[in-house]
Amino acid sequence: MALDTTGATETLLSVRGLGVAAGDKPILTDISFDLAPCSILSVIGESGSGKTVLARALASWLSAPLRVTGGEIRFRGRDLVADPGHARSLAGREIAYVGGNPAGALDPTMTVGAQLVEKLRAVRPDIPAAEARAKAIRLLEAVHIPSAARRFHEYPFQYSGGMMQRAMIVDALISDPALLIADNITQPLDVTVAAQILKLMRELNHDFSTAILFICSSLPVACDASDEVMVLHEGRVVERQTPAALVARPGHSYTRELIAELPTLWQGGETGAGREIDRNRRAIMSVRGLAKAYEVRARGQAGVSRVQAVRNVDFDVFPGDNFGVVGESGCGKSSLMRLLTGLERPDAGSVFFEGENVAAASPKRLRALRRKFQLVLQDPYGCLPPQSPIGAILEEPLKIHRIGSAAERRDRARAVMAEVGLSDSLYRALPTGLSAGQRQRLNVARAMILEPRLLIMDETLSALDQTEQGKLLDLFDKLQAQHGFTYIFISHDLTMVRQVCSRIAVMYLGETVEVAPNERLFFDPGHPYSRALLSAAPTLEERRYRPEDCLLEGEPPSPIDLPPGCAFASRCPQAFDRCRAENPALRARGDHALAACFLNPDPDIALHETATETPHA
Amino acid sequence: MFILRFLARRLGQGAIIIFLVSALIFTLLRVVPGDPVRLMVGGMAPDTLVEEIAAEMGLRDPIHVQFGRYMGKVLQGDLGESFVRPASGAAVGGASFDDSTRGERAKVLDLIAETAPMTLQLAVLAMVFALMIGVPIGVWGGLYPGRLPDRLALYTSSLFVSLPNFWLGIVLALLLSVKLNLLPAIGYRGFSYTILPALVLAVEIAPFIIRTLTVSVAGVMGQSFIDIAKVRGLSRNQIVFRHALKNSAVPLLNLLGVQFSMLLGGVLVIEFIFDYPGLGLLTINAVMQRDFPLIQGIAIVTAAVFVLINIAVDLLATAIDPRLDY
Ligand SMILES: Nc1ncnc2c1ncn2[C@@H]1O[C@H](COP(=O)(O)OP(=O)(O)OP(=O)(O)O)[C@@H](O)[C@H]1O
Ligand code: SF4
Ligand SMILES: [Mg+2]
Repeated sequence: MALDTTGATETLLSVRGLGVAAGDKPILTDISFDLAPCSILSVIGESGSGKTVLARALASWLSAPLRVTGGEIRFRGRDLVADPGHARSLAGREIAYVGGNPAGALDPTMTVGAQLVEKLRAVRPDIPAAEARAKAIRLLEAVHIPSAARRFHEYPFQYSGGMMQRAMIVDALISDPALLIADNITQPLDVTVAAQILKLMRELNHDFSTAILFICSSLPVACDASDEVMVLHEGRVVERQTPAALVARPGHSYTRELIAELPTLWQGGETGAGREIDRNRRAIMSVRGLAKAYEVRARGQAGVSRVQAVRNVDFDVFPGDNFGVVGESGCGKSSLMRLLTGLERPDAGSVFFEGENVAAASPKRLRALRRKFQLVLQDPYGCLPPQSPIGAILEEPLKIHRIGSAAERRDRARAVMAEVGLSDSLYRALPTGLSAGQRQRLNVARAMILEPRLLIMDETLSALDQTEQGKLLDLFDKLQAQHGFTYIFISHDLTMVRQVCSRIAVMYLGETVEVAPNERLFFDPGHPYSRALLSAAPTLEERRYRPEDCLLEGEPPSPIDLPPGCAFASRCPQAFDRCRAENPALRARGDHALAACFLNPDPDIALHETATETPHA
Repeated sequence: MFILRFLARRLGQGAIIIFLVSALIFTLLRVVPGDPVRLMVGGMAPDTLVEEIAAEMGLRDPIHVQFGRYMGKVLQGDLGESFVRPASGAAVGGASFDDSTRGERAKVLDLIAETAPMTLQLAVLAMVFALMIGVPIGVWGGLYPGRLPDRLALYTSSLFVSLPNFWLGIVLALLLSVKLNLLPAIGYRGFSYTILPALVLAVEIAPFIIRTLTVSVAGVMGQSFIDIAKVRGLSRNQIVFRHALKNSAVPLLNLLGVQFSMLLGGVLVIEFIFDYPGLGLLTINAVMQRDFPLIQGIAIVTAAVFVLINIAVDLLATAIDPRLDY
């Protein structure tokens, strides 16, 4: 689309027979492709297929043991492999690179602005400092950093992840490069922020005529972002097509599988909506008016500020439910999890587990209760003791609760290992050798060895790729059928939640803004924020909610010292006067669906009176 | 405003520390054996006279009364008078006991004020030498971890650590001063007398600097912003000198703060060997003479310096790395 007349005649980047190896092991083999000026080419492939290595090779940024074994990378006709000096002179000037981890990308001791200026003047020494500064601020504005002139003087740690990623895009574009290599830039971001970044990238491609090599691991994102998609599989280019053609007629078996397995939001497929749950029974977990604030000392301010991590959280989880809690980073999901499991005590409200208030239980009683609800944590690498064998890790909870003899404990551990699909030979192995998926299975095994009734999964699957996620979800299903578990899934991934959850709570800035059954949330959401999340979710389907109408600008405001009124009002496309004065409570919309938004018709009585009271501030 | 609050808080804490140090020293001095009055009046003086003088000086009052009286004066900036030293300089020996000279005993504050600049000069010069030796070796080692420069740094610091300072002091004095006649060694009659003791001290401090820098530079060089700086187009020199060094500076700064405080507190052995008239020598003599007010005064001043240096280090550290909230 963006091929102009001069650009169409010559290619900007032309790769021929490129090979890269790590020592003797080939990583990339015979990579050949062309990139026209001003076009966007997506590269997708599974984890380990060599996408990052390709990006680094193109940026002449390979470090030992990686090395180019053959082929050429012609940039405007000159081979960068043969002429490293020339390649170095292009780095950061003509060829810019943005990576997937903006957090550590800039010097923490210098302001973002100073580093943008430094970089521009490093590659373009002829530009005077004042001009560089003006350009940096202009670009920060172009990527929608609020009050850019002030943010220019702030340090990297004062930027949120999304802002930092935008600053890195500015850093890459500030020298007007002809080629931008973007490696997984939306990976660490929340869906609404990622959607903004993608939109921004297209605008920049248009405004600055930069060709973009867009590397990513999600097919929907790749298709959304680009003119053409190139598929990498085991270090080889297996196909290259326009997004529409790729989805309609995938040529390679890997692509076909990828498309076939792709979970959907609206077009049928497997969903968690089908299950029949009796919602007139007593709830297994019932949360009312939960609130928790943390005190933080803010820089340059007198006294302490209160971060309202969790406010007005209300929901019920029924036996056999798969309950989902979704929301963006920082919305209080993990704080909520700590409150649910009694790891922390709330400032207000209650958490009833089978009729008993966890929030008020004595420490001794809490220990006993914890046997019945178990936590499976987020980080597959952080939470396993590396020095103890897998069998011992599994038996530890039994020991703590003084259950069974040593022999019984061993049998129990082996049985659970078999159930989660860990082979018996791993009993004496250390967890260090396990893959991410196996680690997650081990975590699940450890949680279920005490035969709990409720399992709380905090981002349990987010570190796994699509295929491995699917396998674990099947496992969860099987375990549920066998043991009658109830699950609470805490996740930022709408697609996953759509697949497995029967009932879903949407959180924004510590509040549950909507609690609804699966179908209802995806087809008739009752809160503008839910619609925004749906509009931003990566999918190949025709969207029910168009980003143009629903997508948010900016990021959630800081949970410190929130303004009165609806917390969403600052970003809500439909906000009106009342929203800024009064905080809407969760109100029933029929069929067990609740939403906290004034746009919903007033029911006769507010269902949860407790939710209307603001917790003591 | 922000800085002021920080200063107020830290100075307040510092005052408490100084108070506690004074109380501790004060009590210890009066508990350990050795009667200063006996030393002052000399072994020949009759016991009754000793008691009389001691009572007159308030040394037989309960400790908390004595301490209260002392702190009251300290708050007015009066650290008292030496038991032993006359205002003129040399210590008054027991044999020359003579009641009439007692009015002319030296003010503790004056004694400290005379010697402190000498020690400051020595400390600063030692620091400069230590940095001149330690920074290049340490940074070079940190840039090539596991390679030759790193090993050189390790060997150098091991060598330096294994040299006992009194031995090195004597060897250097013999070599540079006696044999080669390049530098004066003993006593003080001008700036050149500071160089030798400073060199010995620098050899003692340099290993800490080398070690701290190799570790922190290597750590910073492994961070992603350094790696990414290459692909952003920054030159190697910019990366090392603007970013890596600045980021490795905070651990070094903390180390320098501690080392500098220790130097200012008086470098006992070195000042003794070179007969260098600094706080260290003053302290040694004061202890040997049971000169309570002088020992207390030195302790208070040293503690105050320690507190101030710590505040300065923390302020500087936050200026370098704004993430360090105070
Ligand atoms: N520095 C390195 N040394 C040795 N092998 C490496 C190195 N970097 C990458 N590899 C190997 O190269 C292969 C491709 O890795 P690469 O990081 O490019 O995958 P990727 O497609 O970017 O995966 P992801 O989607 O997880 O980012 C992997 O087998 C990896 O183990
Ligand atoms: S209450 Fe108002 S601001 Fe809040 S979500 Fe509804 S319309 Fe938007
Ligand atoms: Mg990668």
